[in-house]
Amino acid sequence: MSHRRVYLDHSATTPVDPRVLEAMLPYLTEKVGNASSVHGFGQEARAAVDRARREVAGLVGAKQNEIVFVSGGTEANNLAIRGLCELVAPHGRHIIISQIEHPSVSGVCDALAKRGWEVTRLPVYHDGLVRLTDVEAAIRPDTVLISLMLANNEIGTIQPVGEVAKLVRARRDAGQANLWLHTDAVQACGRINVNVNELGCDLLTLSAHKLYAPKGIGALFVRRGVRLLTQSVGGHQERERRAGTENVPGIVAFGAAATLARLEFSTRAIHDRQLRDRFELEVQRRIGDVVMNGNRERRLPHLSNISFRFIEGEGLLINLDMQGVAVSTGSACSSGTLEPSPVIRALGHNDELARGSIRFSFGKDNTDEDVDYTIDVLVRSVATLRALSPLTRTSQLEQVLARHDSRT
Amino acid sequence: MSYSATFKDHLANPRNAGELPEANAVAEETNPVCGDRIRLSLLVREGRIDRVKYLAYGCPPTLVCGSVLTEMILGMPTAEVSRLTRANLLAAVGGLPSRKHHAAALVMETLQAALKSH
Repeated sequence: MSHRRVYLDHSATTPVDPRVLEAMLPYLTEKVGNASSVHGFGQEARAAVDRARREVAGLVGAKQNEIVFVSGGTEANNLAIRGLCELVAPHGRHIIISQIEHPSVSGVCDALAKRGWEVTRLPVYHDGLVRLTDVEAAIRPDTVLISLMLANNEIGTIQPVGEVAKLVRARRDAGQANLWLHTDAVQACGRINVNVNELGCDLLTLSAHKLYAPKGIGALFVRRGVRLLTQSVGGHQERERRAGTENVPGIVAFGAAATLARLEFSTRAIHDRQLRDRFELEVQRRIGDVVMNGNRERRLPHLSNISFRFIEGEGLLINLDMQGVAVSTGSACSSGTLEPSPVIRALGHNDELARGSIRFSFGKDNTDEDVDYTIDVLVRSVATLRALSPLTRTSQLEQVLARHDSRT
Repeated sequence: MSYSATFKDHLANPRNAGELPEANAVAEETNPVCGDRIRLSLLVREGRIDRVKYLAYGCPPTLVCGSVLTEMILGMPTAEVSRLTRANLLAAVGGLPSRKHHAAALVMETLQAALKSH
């Protein structure tokens, strides 16, 4: 039986928009120059890279020379954190991040901690948000970097980066000159308004494949005046900030996608939010014993993270996949670790809820029919797994006992 | 990991799922590391597994190992059941990567505990 195929994993990656593909193709086939070459082919490629740089800068309100092209969000996070911390190490070795950063931020910090840096990981609370009082209390004279993701990849909550930037500026005004703010905006760009001047950050990470462009290309916004220790050396590209022949087709695609994201921003946000909100209403109406994870207001418009009680996420994910629906889970089984989603645990939830969490992330090509189909599939799959689960039975017994106790 | 068609079939359509009120051999075991849980209810009559039901919580290999096991032992003499090994179960499932062998181990432990309880 062939099923409908419904892709609801846009926070993992997105399909390349046909218009982006069309913009990119000539740079794979005819306009094939190395952007560093002096001849006409090279200059053509150079012009394309410059144009894309302006387009990506335009998405986030940056100046074009403040955009460094890299291979993706992970490399941008590495460049931002290691590049800054290694350069300013004589002034301090203390870093502040949240407990729910992407592994490409927390992993880099773990690596720096092994080499003598100290890392403070701020808690998030039941709503997935850090508290400004915690940030303020954590800043020390030797703090050099605060890295706080703008929107979380699992639960979509939007952190108060702008407010943290105000704290950073206040400290600088008071004499702490070497304190910088980085934000991983990979999930946020193209989905909420992201402006580096309104935010006030010094460094910001973007990734193309979350924006309907290909994988393998990203960018780091580096505010004018901020210096980094170059991590990829051996060439003069990107104004000495990142060596390596530019991925011209990828960069062109990124630029085209950034322009479309800017122009279609409102349409996409409204579309995604409507689908997501209707999906959540239907889940809560037709499936009981669910927990909606993360702050209900301060979150991305396209993402829904839901814990289904009594069942484990990978089993649900595979069941959905067998019926054509693609989602992701915070369950440890699928990530290959023994720990269930640290993000869901950081909300204060227990292991069962962390293991039973599923992320649904909608995109511009999803339809109402996709939502209807997914709900039907989900209702059936959850029922099958709950009928199989000893936890369902335990909960039913507890409810019977509780009702008995309340009557006697 | 990519799962076989048999595996996916057992996942979508678990065999013998549920409880057995008339069971005379029951055990429930939990893997303390990952939290996976199996409950096995057997009705043993005249030295054979007359009826069997199972409940399972955890990753897909755990759910599938439970389902496959119940199919294997239904109607089998208990003497033969007690000689079944983890390797027999893994073969019946179609093999699992080594990091998922804990699922088969949990199911077999629960089976042994159920037989002991009879």
